[in-house]
Amino acid sequence: MNSMAIVVRDDSYDKILTPLAFAYLTASEGTQVDMLFVNWAVKALTAEGAAALRIDGQHAAEEAMVREGVAKAGLPPEVYDIIKALKGTGCVNFYACSLAGAIFGVNEGNLIPEAEGIVGAAWFLNEKAAKADHYQYF
Amino acid sequence: MSETQVTSTLDTTGKCCPMPMVETNKAIKALAIGDVLEIIATDVGTRKDIPSWCERMGQSLLSMTEEGGVLRYHVRKNR
Repeated sequence: MNSMAIVVRDDSYDKILTPLAFAYLTASEGTQVDMLFVNWAVKALTAEGAAALRIDGQHAAEEAMVREGVAKAGLPPEVYDIIKALKGTGCVNFYACSLAGAIFGVNEGNLIPEAEGIVGAAWFLNEKAAKADHYQYF
Repeated sequence: MSETQVTSTLDTTGKCCPMPMVETNKAIKALAIGDVLEIIATDVGTRKDIPSWCERMGQSLLSMTEEGGVLRYHVRKNR
């Protein structure tokens, strides 16, 4: 697999771990990974938003256990630190959806430097998702 | 116990997916062709991950043993 595109929508701490872990796995093999963050998940591409990610719903009370498990597994427990680790592979590009940015308050002023920028979904879907060897949606 | 001459050992004990594979990818890059990487793991997911990774990446899995919950792989770097 040479390339993979991932759209991330779910923004709770536990649910965002899976696409980040999959990206880390494939990027470590040299696969080019392009990730588009949409809806609430776009806030994960801000330092404040990444730090604010929590487990919600029926598993909210188990957050400490999950964070401990993440650290034991060897991943940094903070989402921003995982993003930095992925960026460090040199194979992962992070994009913020422009619609999501406009709705949920993410702009070029608060976007983390690890992100490539704010892009339209049409560009991502046609230039990245449609051309990727593999495409995932979370 | 394998008699393979190990060049380098990567101990991923306690770590889980994706870290054993992320660290294996990093470790193999640091080796020369012909070197043997020993990977120690406790993540049972590596039972399938490492053999398939070897096949995909063109490396040779020389041995795979499991004792007391500890998995030990010897991988020769071919490319």
